[in-house]
Amino acid sequence: MEGGEGEALPSTLVIGLGNLLRGDDGVGVRVAEALATRDLPDDVEVVDGGTHGLGLVNFMEGRQRVILVDAADVGESPGEFRRFTLDEARLLGDDRHLSVHAAGLRDALLLAQALDVLPDEVVIFGVQPANLEWYSALSPQVKAALPDLITAVMTELNQKLGRREVWPKS
Amino acid sequence: MSTVDVNVNVHHLTRVEGHGNIVVDVQNGELKQCELQIVEAPRFFEAMLRGRPYYEASHITSRICGICATGHATASLRATENALGVEVSEQTELLRKLVFHGEIIDSHVLHVYMLVAPDFFGVGSVLPLASSHPDVVKRALRIKKLSGDLCAMISGRHTHPIAMTVGGFTHLPTIKEMLAVRERLVAAREDMDETISLLATLPWPEFERETEYVSLQKDEEYAFIDGRIATTDGFAYELPDYRNVTNEYLVPHSTAKHTKHNRDSYMVGALARFNNNYDQLHPRAKAAAEELGMKPVVTNSFLNSGAQAVEMVHCVEDSIRIIDELVDRGIEEEPPYEFQGKGGEGVGSCDVPRGILFHNYVIDDDGVIQGANCIIPTGQNYGNIEADMRALVPQILDRPQEEITHMMEMLVRAYDPCISCSTHFLNVEFV
Repeated sequence: MEGGEGEALPSTLVIGLGNLLRGDDGVGVRVAEALATRDLPDDVEVVDGGTHGLGLVNFMEGRQRVILVDAADVGESPGEFRRFTLDEARLLGDDRHLSVHAAGLRDALLLAQALDVLPDEVVIFGVQPANLEWYSALSPQVKAALPDLITAVMTELNQKLGRREVWPKS
Repeated sequence: MSTVDVNVNVHHLTRVEGHGNIVVDVQNGELKQCELQIVEAPRFFEAMLRGRPYYEASHITSRICGICATGHATASLRATENALGVEVSEQTELLRKLVFHGEIIDSHVLHVYMLVAPDFFGVGSVLPLASSHPDVVKRALRIKKLSGDLCAMISGRHTHPIAMTVGGFTHLPTIKEMLAVRERLVAAREDMDETISLLATLPWPEFERETEYVSLQKDEEYAFIDGRIATTDGFAYELPDYRNVTNEYLVPHSTAKHTKHNRDSYMVGALARFNNNYDQLHPRAKAAAEELGMKPVVTNSFLNSGAQAVEMVHCVEDSIRIIDELVDRGIEEEPPYEFQGKGGEGVGSCDVPRGILFHNYVIDDDGVIQGANCIIPTGQNYGNIEADMRALVPQILDRPQEEITHMMEMLVRAYDPCISCSTHFLNVEFV
């Protein structure tokens, strides 16, 4: 359950995003699932954000840092990923939606910014997808990249939390 | 008037698959083309489920949509339970209603505040609204947080309800958790009042067009889960006969099937439920409707958003009632369902935020799904949206083209169509 009223929230939040039914779009959720099996420090929370859209604002509010993992067109070959902060990138898109279904991570970040509830640190791991077909599995390229991606996110967490070791599988 | 040319071409969501395009073409004052072009989501529904064990269906289908995850899960579970002859307990029914209310509030608050309100504040999106009216947007997020926590309390996780399973729940809320949420629901009445007051001040476009409204209906309550299919044209069907209502057909400009029943089109969603089931709304919700000037039958599609606000009030009140009942009864662990080695066919239906949803499964004696069909609310609304567009365009031809375009967008938006739940793919440019 999301932190209720008055409860202290873990300061670091990792959100894996995407739709598991649409091939590589689900890569963020796969990373979240993998991280959830690790022995995480108390101040780290991992969330399967699915296709949550604007609701992500409520997850992010009150955190010190958020690490987001999502499929993204980052201009790389399929399976490659880039780590970036909001200062380093422009998230392209249209603000005028016909449907709440169209709102995604970009909109949630911009809305959190506008409301001044964006965490101080926002790091995004954007993974270049190869395939977004309905009801398909991860592409071989993205599947092959998954271990490196998980390691990269854990390394990011270790650095942020001043820890050197990568957590063993619990 | 006869010389007017209008060409509206809104390609909104081209970044994924070209979903949700509005095309209006008027030549010499004559309407030549008026279409909502949609590439529809769960196109491979049957392929997703065929060959899978019955107990996976709700988990798979809940991933179709991040907004209606509980709705798909519930319709899926009801289809499976009807196919396998599973009776669920009263406790399970109450908990399902409660989590469903959470999703209705969650979806409606997003739509009303984040999409519809900006149109009336004269801003292009919720982003400038967050700067100019932060209190309004924060109220929306406060309501959303409550509904999200309500859902998570019961289904174990936000968006994807993992604890909901055939026959019941794998996780149960505690009395303490329910009472904590109850307290917040009571406090949320103030936010509900503010929401209705806000909507009451908005200049809703004047537009009336009679159509047929289709929703679930029950004798005992405002129906969201199960019941019969009712229409404002006086028809009623049992769920297994849903195809008598939907009558799907193909149109050239969309990959999504359209539906029709007694007229050329029908409408589903909050306004349809409001029109069919007004009498069963909570008194506070009826008072809210009165404040908005709404009394059935409301034939202004723009007021679907008003009906959503009324339903939010109803769901807050009914959630309080359900929690009281659950606290009174006490929460009991229940034995998990065990498959009895006998398959069958079943239809499950819920009236999800955007309208009536059908799941229909054929399950064999090994518990494996052999056939599956799904009809989503937006698919049933396409025909009605286009009929509204055809009726509205001639009434506003004298306005500037930009305004016509905006009105068309607002009209489509009033239905909050399920267009691209599918991927939330980021498009990034590095600086």
